[in-house]
Amino acid sequence: MKKLTALIATLCSLVIVFPIFYSISASFFSYADFTSIPARLLPSVPTLENYARAFKESNLERFLANSLLTASLGTALRMAISIISAYTFSFFTFKGRDTLFVLIVATMLLPSDALLLANYTTIRALRLTDSYLGIISTLLLAPTHIFMLRQYFKTVSSEYREAAILEGCGDIRFLTTLLIPISKAVVITLAIHSFSTIFNDYLWPLLVTNKESMRTVQVGLTMLGFSENLDYGPQFAAITLLITPILIAFVAMHKPIQTSVSTRFAGR
Amino acid sequence: MKKRTASLLKPYILILPALALAVVFAYRPFLLTLLNSLHTVSLQGQRLSFVGFENYQRLFVSQSFQASLSNTLRFTLYFVPTNLIICLGAALLSNRKGKLATLNQIFFFLPMAVGLSSAMMILKMMFNPSIGIINQLFGSDIQWFNDKHAAMALLVIAGVYLDIGLNFLLLHAALRNVPSELHEVAKIEGANSLQVFRYLQAPLIAPTFVFVLMTNIKDAMLISSPVLILTEGGPFRSTQTLVYQMYLEGFKSGNYAMGSAIATVVFLLTLSALLLLLHLERRRVYYQ
Repeated sequence: MKKLTALIATLCSLVIVFPIFYSISASFFSYADFTSIPARLLPSVPTLENYARAFKESNLERFLANSLLTASLGTALRMAISIISAYTFSFFTFKGRDTLFVLIVATMLLPSDALLLANYTTIRALRLTDSYLGIISTLLLAPTHIFMLRQYFKTVSSEYREAAILEGCGDIRFLTTLLIPISKAVVITLAIHSFSTIFNDYLWPLLVTNKESMRTVQVGLTMLGFSENLDYGPQFAAITLLITPILIAFVAMHKPIQTSVSTRFAGR
Repeated sequence: MKKRTASLLKPYILILPALALAVVFAYRPFLLTLLNSLHTVSLQGQRLSFVGFENYQRLFVSQSFQASLSNTLRFTLYFVPTNLIICLGAALLSNRKGKLATLNQIFFFLPMAVGLSSAMMILKMMFNPSIGIINQLFGSDIQWFNDKHAAMALLVIAGVYLDIGLNFLLLHAALRNVPSELHEVAKIEGANSLQVFRYLQAPLIAPTFVFVLMTNIKDAMLISSPVLILTEGGPFRSTQTLVYQMYLEGFKSGNYAMGSAIATVVFLLTLSALLLLLHLERRRVYYQ
């Protein structure tokens, strides 16, 4: 029974991982390998030709740079805004605090996809199309982050802050030297989550960028335009280049990833 | 006195960025969408004249919209159970100890590392009817992009592939949190795997399951990017979904009013689904 479970699990997990394996393998295919019958799983003679062409015939470096820049800038701003708001909501008492908190968190109920059109008009009116700020601006508010950080900060006794303030320590110092270090785990988890969300966004960057030089890699990939003549090699090469570092990070970090998920959600 | 006003204002200033973003990119566009859907709107996005529910009337009689609505609902109906069964199955199967089990677990959440557009491009190439590996491996001749049933099935496969990583992680984590002493007690009492699942694991993972179910329904009703990359709504609108049609109306045809009306329908649909589920959750699922 146990052996059977292990066998089925392994077979299923191989099916799930197959597209990744195939993408890596096919990035070394020659043109003929794609059309050979029966279909090939491994290249006949591995070639780097596709990688060379992916760079030569497209703006891949530029797309990648755009994505890294918007994802880093977006994450930094998003975390700063989330941490400061969560800090204010958990350590300050002021009039209308709970109402304002609900107002911010309730934006979770407005799906961004349904707001695309109106947000696009706003960005166009602000003349932010084809700009990095335009790509990230609608993603800067993360109500789930604010909510989770506040939950976490509330477990920290406000006496700490009172003592720190008495000692002449300002809010910024209290945040950077005490609160953020003791909430490191949740801050890092949210930052990684933000980075991957912004990096992987598709529809919004597609809408706000028209210039090829401003495209992010997720948008650029689908527009490489090799597939019209079934010339898949360069595209598989580009995809493999893009996902390999992330795959390695995921495999290397599988333990912390699993632990953080189990404490974040299932542990409640 | 000055100092006092400053310290009174301080919290408001600190939350100002979040508040401003909420107003500019959530509440204001939401209200604009509602307003636009009740007006005729110029190509530049200016509201021209108030027309009441005329946009909605035109929308509901149009075949294109009926197709989108039915496709979205059908996709949700096919996708959500398929995805939940596969993700829960994967979590249960790999809930073992040992090196092989760890490897299985890594493989199950690895699709998470592949971005949406990369994943969709890989599937698009793999499912190419003439030279794609899927038809060749199985010796089949399925026209994945020209047959409406196959295209819908492909969209469901794509949806599962996009969601399995995170859903697996969540369900797996919930299963791991079931105390092992309870497992041993159940074993000693002679419970089989089915009974362990029914009476021990299922109730304990229920909150996570409901969370996954809710996000799945929301994601399914909002599906657009996979449609955009994989099928472009075809063949014959058979995979055209609501958000995809909203994109077509608003950005391709410049019909802001219609686009806004569709957005409002999408909003109402996801909200009612979520409220219904929250209601069910409150009645049926008990947290520890």
